[in-house]
Amino acid sequence: MPVDPGSGVRKKRAQLARPGEGLLPPDPRKVGEEPDYRFTLANERTFLAWIRTALALSAGGLGALHLIPDPYSSALIGITLLGFSVATAATSYRRWALNETSMRLGRPLPKSKLPQVMAVSTTVIALLAAILFALDK
Amino acid sequence: MKPEPPQQIFDFGVQQERTSLAWERTSIAMMTAGVILTRYAAGDARSVFVLIGLLQVATGGAILLWTAWHYEELHAPLRDGTGITHPNAVRTVGVATLWFSTATFILATLFTLSRW
Repeated sequence: MPVDPGSGVRKKRAQLARPGEGLLPPDPRKVGEEPDYRFTLANERTFLAWIRTALALSAGGLGALHLIPDPYSSALIGITLLGFSVATAATSYRRWALNETSMRLGRPLPKSKLPQVMAVSTTVIALLAAILFALDK
Repeated sequence: MKPEPPQQIFDFGVQQERTSLAWERTSIAMMTAGVILTRYAAGDARSVFVLIGLLQVATGGAILLWTAWHYEELHAPLRDGTGITHPNAVRTVGVATLWFSTATFILATLFTLSRW
């Protein structure tokens, strides 16, 4: 059952939730109608997968700093991974809220470049780390 | 009094259980990341970050307990067909993860600068 949309200003703000808005978009329950519960739970699981990705990047960054012998290489790889962790964590709630809002309004889900950027960057960093580790540098 | 078991299937795809397991995996990942941060910070003798790591482990534990409670709580709205969206839990976990990731990033930067 949809939650009472509340005051006009808040409802309008929620309806305007679009890519480009801040990191904490308004409560999606203020607009549209409750979607099929399967979609809501799927969106929740996707959000949690992004959170786990952020945590894995954080652990991986610390691991790189600890395991790669060369201080410059370890700093480059470790801090880059930790930066990705912060970026992933920072955008996870926003992505969940925008997806939920779109589902409630029957709109297409918003696009994101982050999955492609993450996939390419993480692969490059992992290969670099493996090479450095193999060369013991 | 123990609630009566449901008389009909209300979750064909076992979505609720899968989501609950996703929350559990996330809480375990949160605790693991917290242990790694604590160990790393302890080796570098930065006590503030040791506390942050321990707080992250405690947060993971709290999420795990909440997951168990929420799994039971969600049965009724799923059977009734009422709303199950809960932005507060999502927002809390998102902000907590951002906070811990940022703390880890700051620790690593300080550690790297001190080595140079």
